[in-house]
Amino acid sequence: MDKDVNKLVNRLEEEFQNFKKDLKETTNLKELEKLKVNYLGKKSLITTTLKNIGSLPNDLKPVVGKNTNIYRKKIQASLDQKVEFFESLEFDKKLRKEKIDLSLPGKKPELGSKNIITQVIEEIEEIFIGMGFKIAEGPEVELDYYNFEALNTPEDHPARSLHDTFFISDDVLLRTHTSPMQVRYMEKYQPPINIIVPGKVYRRDYDVSHTPMFTQIEGLVVDKDINFKHLKWTLETVARKIFGRDRRVRFRPHYFPFTEPSAEMDVSCKICDGKGCRVCSGSGWLEILGAGMVDPNVYKFVGYDPDEFTGFAFGIGIERICMLKYGINDLRAFFENDMRFIRQF
Amino acid sequence: MKITLNWLKDFLKIKELNEEEVADLLTMSGTEVKKSEDVGARFKDIVIGQVNEFSSHPNADKLSVCKVNVGDNILNIVCGASNFKKNDIVPVALPGSKVGDLKIRRSKIRGQVSEGMMCSEAELGLSSDSEGIMILDGNYKIGKSFAKSAGLDDVIMELEITPNRPDCLSIIGIARELSALKDIELNIPDYNYSLEKENNFNIEIKDYNLCPRYSAKIFSNVPRIESPQWLKNRLIFCDVRPSDLIVDLTNYVMLETGQPLHAFDKDLLHSDKIIVRRAKKGEKIRTIDDNNRDLNPEMLVIADEGKAVAIAGIMGGKQTEINQNTKNFLLESANFNGPSIMRTSKKLGLRSEASNRFEKQIDPYLTIFAIKRFQVLLERITGHKENAKIYDNFKKTKRNRNIVLRSSKIRQVLGEDIKVGVASEILSGLQIDNKVKGKNLEANIPSFRYEDLEREVDLVEEVARIYGFNKFGSEPPAAKQSMGGYSFYQKKIRQLRDSLRDIGLAEVINYSFISQENFDKFNLGEEEEFNKLVKIINPINEDFQYLRSILLPAMFKTLEDNVKYKTSDIAIFEVSKVFEKSGKKLPIEKNKLGILLSGRKEQKSWDNGVEYYDFYDLKGMLEYIVEKFYPNKDLKIKAKEYKFFHPTIGGLANIDGIDLGIIGKVHPSICRGLDIEQDVYYLEINLDNFIKNIKGFKNFMPIPRYPSIEMDIAIVVDINIKHDDIVQLIKESGTGILKNIRLFDVYQGKQIEEGKKSMAYSLTFRREDKTLKDREVEIEIKRILSNLSKKFNAKLRE
Repeated sequence: MDKDVNKLVNRLEEEFQNFKKDLKETTNLKELEKLKVNYLGKKSLITTTLKNIGSLPNDLKPVVGKNTNIYRKKIQASLDQKVEFFESLEFDKKLRKEKIDLSLPGKKPELGSKNIITQVIEEIEEIFIGMGFKIAEGPEVELDYYNFEALNTPEDHPARSLHDTFFISDDVLLRTHTSPMQVRYMEKYQPPINIIVPGKVYRRDYDVSHTPMFTQIEGLVVDKDINFKHLKWTLETVARKIFGRDRRVRFRPHYFPFTEPSAEMDVSCKICDGKGCRVCSGSGWLEILGAGMVDPNVYKFVGYDPDEFTGFAFGIGIERICMLKYGINDLRAFFENDMRFIRQF
Repeated sequence: MKITLNWLKDFLKIKELNEEEVADLLTMSGTEVKKSEDVGARFKDIVIGQVNEFSSHPNADKLSVCKVNVGDNILNIVCGASNFKKNDIVPVALPGSKVGDLKIRRSKIRGQVSEGMMCSEAELGLSSDSEGIMILDGNYKIGKSFAKSAGLDDVIMELEITPNRPDCLSIIGIARELSALKDIELNIPDYNYSLEKENNFNIEIKDYNLCPRYSAKIFSNVPRIESPQWLKNRLIFCDVRPSDLIVDLTNYVMLETGQPLHAFDKDLLHSDKIIVRRAKKGEKIRTIDDNNRDLNPEMLVIADEGKAVAIAGIMGGKQTEINQNTKNFLLESANFNGPSIMRTSKKLGLRSEASNRFEKQIDPYLTIFAIKRFQVLLERITGHKENAKIYDNFKKTKRNRNIVLRSSKIRQVLGEDIKVGVASEILSGLQIDNKVKGKNLEANIPSFRYEDLEREVDLVEEVARIYGFNKFGSEPPAAKQSMGGYSFYQKKIRQLRDSLRDIGLAEVINYSFISQENFDKFNLGEEEEFNKLVKIINPINEDFQYLRSILLPAMFKTLEDNVKYKTSDIAIFEVSKVFEKSGKKLPIEKNKLGILLSGRKEQKSWDNGVEYYDFYDLKGMLEYIVEKFYPNKDLKIKAKEYKFFHPTIGGLANIDGIDLGIIGKVHPSICRGLDIEQDVYYLEINLDNFIKNIKGFKNFMPIPRYPSIEMDIAIVVDINIKHDDIVQLIKESGTGILKNIRLFDVYQGKQIEEGKKSMAYSLTFRREDKTLKDREVEIEIKRILSNLSKKFNAKLRE
């Protein structure tokens, strides 16, 4: 009995080896179909063996059935695998016929843009926020009191002639700088104060280098023990963040009625690296902001004790920063809103 | 203001001043040097020559050939002028030099060699017009540099003088600064002579507040000669046009001392008395610039017993002006009230070198020195000695003060320990007397700094600026528990801008102004919401007459301008304030967002046709913003007519009763009137309302656990039935299982009865507690259709 079984297993094994050989030689689905008929079809060894199982002695039936089925499954699995293989080959062939011109233009959503002035304001805001500053905003139409008087610039002060002013009435005007918010903010809050104030300002001046409206960022820091060295550190840090770490920075004494001492800050010219060129009119330096220690007279207007509190204030001209940073040479371009300008940024 | 280095040296005990060093010292101490020019370089290789002989050019009638001795050489020069004689001394430009823009080189002119050029004053830039070669006097030595001999080897510096330093509007003031900065001794002459001769002259000052001091001196029988070249040169260098010696000297002394002077022809004054008084009502004067000026009692004038002869501190009168025949003149050296001069100058629209100084309030103690300086220079130039008395009407007021400067204050303000001894030296250098007392010092402020040094902190600044701002370090402020950041409002504005950029819009910034013309063109006068304009009382021109109440006209202008540049597809936004007159002093300021669309949304491309912006593109953008900031709210547009919108395409936008603003199609007549052929869509929302109501916090919505069923229905209704109303009815007809209604097709045309339209909706149903059965949806649809049929006579489209 064992002998018969062994014989059968050997035959099945032989059949399987033949199948494997034939399978290797098939090159397409059609041939594969033929192979399937040969090895699993009605006349195949496996099918006939299983068909004849009924005529075998009872004790042999399970052994023969089990062994034959093992081989049937093995063959079936190999066939399935091969089918999948040929199918994927065929699919690949089909895909390879699908060609597009990859160089045709894409279907691009239109690119929008935030105004360059907005972008630079936001950049500067972020720098100051990182230093713990809040952002305050104030009215563009202002009282003379906030724009001048409380900023230590009474009527008939010679400095007023530097601010050509648009008037709404005798004592109402378009703010000529963002500084009025210094007074408004101090009226409302007590130190410590750390604010910047971005916004539009207006001067009655319209030529190649002046527009009747432009943009400033004011800054105010007031607390106990704030001194000029803190002003220097804060503004140097900001300038280097905006213009690059390798820029040199210097402070020149200047005059503003509401700060004492007052200063202007220059950064070394990026174009010539401080050697002097057309952009910096040969000086090697570019003026970027005005600043100073808050004048004690201003504290009197808001009821702070000048012996207790000190502070500094500064004003940055945004268009100027944009021009220096991006190499824009015409101030008026900012408000002409030519799409060829606007959409560059 | 301009100065020259040589002039500066006149008042300093120093031989040489280095251009770069002076520029740096002044700039870094608060007197910014805007520009610096070495004038000597202009005259490089121009030397003094002598015409040895000359003969006419063999080949040209109008030219002559000269032999010119330039010291080490005799040059052959062809010349076109004919005003010179043998042995005349002339400036000669050698080959390699530049005369104006002309480069001089050795050349042949009509066959004759020419080795240089003899120059005229005009060619050298020394006068605006001159004929012939400049003939020099015997003081010029042959072969020497022309620039040096003529006092032209100088450096001009243009300075920015801040308004707090009227004392620096003078050569002497700058010399004083430099003396402190470089530790050079000052060299200011002390004119201590007394003058005796009485002229029986009288000065009456009616208002000492407006004129604290009036000094004057009469000069008689002054020889009239031309100003020497050196004096003219210095005036030219400082942008003052030379004219007559007397006038030139008044200007020269003003530039030098900062004290404006004025000379009247004494014989044209109608009295031996000068009266300083307010102008009479209706009084007029013709000023030396040949303009008639209307005066009023706010203005101060200098008058004789007849009438006004000068506007005090601003400009002299034509009638008493120095002229060719002037023999005797009255020299005025006065002091006026700064604010009064400023007001008058502003009122008359007339500024002068004098008013520029007076309006900043100058030192009354300058008047006598300036007269004496004038006299010394006049004597030096003309030899004329004048022993007449100086008349001086002066109401003295306190002009000095003591200020204590504590070293603790220096430390508090600057953060730097500057020793009191150092501070004391700095102040002494600035001619401010002071005494050190322990850790403090007491300074006595001189008259010439009386206006600007009032308080301790002013002295801190003086010390700091001379010490040098860059000499002391920088330090971060002590760390504080201070929370920086954007407010909620600011954060939302920033997000809004980003969102608008992300959908392809470009941000513009326009001026905040509107003209009457534009106001009218957009028919704003008839719109309650937009017609309360804030008026500018002193606009630059008609474009700046009012503050804008709406962004539309300016944004429309942006469209117009860009169409001119052939960019006619416009999708822009602007975030800006608008202004509205209120009952109070300050107008109402509202923050607005404007969006304007016009032209092609999509250009014709290889896979698509052209698409133009329409109303629904604009509405879609608004929906996008609303969805972003109000996730579960619906945008509603209520039709409303605006004069600037198309009569039926325009309305008010709101969400849940919150008014956002306006949206519509710009009225085609307005577009046509402004030469815009394409459709324009515009919306403007009130950001204050929009942002105020945003919830800062989004609640989590559970994700549905059971599947939904989608059903499409298409109905045919009358053309006038609104989508909003249909949706409303569907919503009301459905139960809780109806979750979403989406319109996906609108059709009008052949397949539909005229006057009707087909609307196709996709309805989504879902239960939260279990899987929905088809039967439940069928019942729902049936009810909806039945209601639609009842209310709108809607028929199901097969």
